[in-house]
Amino acid sequence: MRVSNSLKMIALEIWLPILIVVVWWFASANSTSLYFPPLQAILESFAENWLDPQEAIQNLAPSLLLLGSGYLLALVGGVVLGTLFGIVTPIEHATRPVLETLRAVPGVALLPIFIVLFGIDAQMKILLIAFGSFWPIFLNTIDGVRAVEPLLLDVSRVFRVGRARRLFRIVLPSAGPQIFAGARTALAIALIIMVVAETVGGSGGIGYFLLDAQRNFAITAMWGAILALGILGYVLNIFFRIIERRVLRWHRLQQARLETAK
Amino acid sequence: MSVVQHEEEEDIDLPTVGAAVAGRRRRPWLGLALQIAVILLAGGVWWLASTLLPVGTMPSPAETFARLGALALTPEFWIAVGITVATFLAGLIICILIGIPLGLAIGASTFATQSTRLVFDFLRTIPPIAILPLLLLLLGAQFQMVLVLVIGGAIWPILIQSIYAARQGEALLVDVARTFKVPRRWFIRHIFLPGALPFIMTGLRVGTTICLLLTITGELLGGAPGIGFEIADAMAFYDNSRMYAYVLVSAFLGLLVNGAFWAAQRRMLHWHPSIRREGTR
Amino acid sequence: MTNIGTRTSPQPTVDDSIALEARRLGHSYGDRDVLGSIDFIVPRGEFVCIVGPSGVGKTTLLRCLSGLQVSSRGSVLVKGQPVKEPARGVAVVFQDYSRSLMPWASVLHNVTLPLRANGVRRAAAETTARAALAQVALADNVADLYPWQLSGGMQQRVAIARALAYNPQVLLMDEPFASVDAQTRADLEDLMRKLQRDLDLTVLLVTHDIDESVYLSDRVIALSGSPAGVADIVEVPLGAERDQIGTKSLPEFAAIRARVHGLIRHTAAPTELA
Repeated sequence: MRVSNSLKMIALEIWLPILIVVVWWFASANSTSLYFPPLQAILESFAENWLDPQEAIQNLAPSLLLLGSGYLLALVGGVVLGTLFGIVTPIEHATRPVLETLRAVPGVALLPIFIVLFGIDAQMKILLIAFGSFWPIFLNTIDGVRAVEPLLLDVSRVFRVGRARRLFRIVLPSAGPQIFAGARTALAIALIIMVVAETVGGSGGIGYFLLDAQRNFAITAMWGAILALGILGYVLNIFFRIIERRVLRWHRLQQARLETAK
Repeated sequence: MSVVQHEEEEDIDLPTVGAAVAGRRRRPWLGLALQIAVILLAGGVWWLASTLLPVGTMPSPAETFARLGALALTPEFWIAVGITVATFLAGLIICILIGIPLGLAIGASTFATQSTRLVFDFLRTIPPIAILPLLLLLLGAQFQMVLVLVIGGAIWPILIQSIYAARQGEALLVDVARTFKVPRRWFIRHIFLPGALPFIMTGLRVGTTICLLLTITGELLGGAPGIGFEIADAMAFYDNSRMYAYVLVSAFLGLLVNGAFWAAQRRMLHWHPSIRREGTR
Repeated sequence: MTNIGTRTSPQPTVDDSIALEARRLGHSYGDRDVLGSIDFIVPRGEFVCIVGPSGVGKTTLLRCLSGLQVSSRGSVLVKGQPVKEPARGVAVVFQDYSRSLMPWASVLHNVTLPLRANGVRRAAAETTARAALAQVALADNVADLYPWQLSGGMQQRVAIARALAYNPQVLLMDEPFASVDAQTRADLEDLMRKLQRDLDLTVLLVTHDIDESVYLSDRVIALSGSPAGVADIVEVPLGAERDQIGTKSLPEFAAIRARVHGLIRHTAAPTELA
């Protein structure tokens, strides 16, 4: 019974994607349109450039390096500064106008400024990615830190819990869900900025590949790159979700418990 | 700033943590003074950087604002701003008109929700930037291209949050309607929609930000007219003060959009505890 | 039955027999006086209840007594020493158990937190914690569960265990049973009496429930008026052995209960909140 139930669930979720792929395949099979090549050709190009280990590494490695470094920088910076600003409320309040303005700049608009300031090498790109992804993490950390249950803070004071212990055992775990929410948004932003940053400077990566394909009218390769980018985003999100599920297991279960109690 | 009666009452703008806040509330002008001080400090840092860096790399605050003032007198400036704003608004409105009803409809049906889950999950993680080259080829460096880009990127949060909203309401509908035999229309208006609104607003908040981001991106990278184009154009001509001026404009636009959104959200969700508690984020 | 006046017989020297004392304790928020001038002592080893109508300022009083708040006037002394911040010898059990326990930590970690924070090593802390959990009649396996997996009554027991493990001189309780159902309340009341006798605890429990205050305590401090003051302190000579049905049907119980009731309603009702 349970097996057939889970099979049913899986079937429900995959019939549409499969249908779409099949329709696409046959509808585009004999396509002569320049901009919409046959799905078969796209998949072949995809396999050639992104599944072949050597090619894949050559095309993906630079991107992943940029993404990883920039994101990590944003993560650490965002959590540390967010915690600081969240705890010492006068700082947050005083800097708010400036921070709101900085945050409001569409990250991409800063690309030219970053280029002028930092050149077009990997350093600049990492900094740009970090700058863009920093904000959601930073702001969400502030929110999370400030929303710690006041009663728990009272408890920690009554039982004379020291500041450091209070920070790591009460404030940060409590802010966990908010921080992860910010980190998830930051991942999406990092991905976008990574692609954008790679279109300048010609140092490889998916973004560069995409732009290059477009310039050379290698449409099939371009579609292949779009597919690769989509899959990369999807896979990264899955990894993120796995980590989140593990770390925030308590939160998920607690929310579920509260839901059933209603 | 709310007028504070006593320590136990919460400041509407800031959740209270610590005695530092109590001090500020007794002297509200101190907070404002600090903010101005920080703004001046930031301006000072900018000015310092502009003088320390090689000549021409970074214009000083004065130069930038002066150039901004000069630009504001030209028609080209307002055309660019107008195109960006128009594209942004058009994109946002289309996303709302398509995303919300579609999302609610899908969310109301378990079958539809589950069927589309994988597809939407995948499509929403494709960085919109990926289709920019394709759109450029198809539509050229026009605002239509930017519009399609904006919709392609911003519709997902709006759509998906609307689905969540409907899912919440659907569970409630089964319970309440069954127990109380509430008329469907009344239920939708007085229970379902108010319950769905916070979710939809969350989606709109993200969607609005993405709309602006993609508008500028499409213009900057795609060469379509607008603020983004002006920024890229200025850079190509090594006209740094013009570049910075337009970046400033995009920041102001962002602030305007954020502020307008928060005002709208405050009004529509004034009853919701998260708004009462949190405030300006 | 005798009762003690608002002023206790003066004991000028530091006295080990007094666990907690409030001296001319008063508190105001801005120009709103919440607590007038409150004096009382809690002798060591006694179970004392503070009872008063809702809104009279019981929470404010408890926050001052626990050191979470510094009172505008007067002082609080724990074992003769004035407190300006939470004292090592004071533990608190709050009314809202679900929010006073950390949901990301197991029951065991919740109970050991105060110990670890005060320098006890992990192994020793866990032993003490498990002993405390046993004292509040929670099974062994509960230690590894999360608080939200437990019922309300069990969660409050965890909070009590946390306070017990801390080994305080005074256990303060802020309307601890107001958020549980009547049957659980009765069970927890009896648990508190048992713990107090077995472990020779000093307990100061704040409540709005008059029955509870008389049933549990050796003396009742009746709070009323605005600003709040001690209307009177009523002795409860109902003996050490008490049970829910028997004790509450005694005529003496009814008499004390009526007296306390009259005291807290005696002064004019608190004025509207500003």
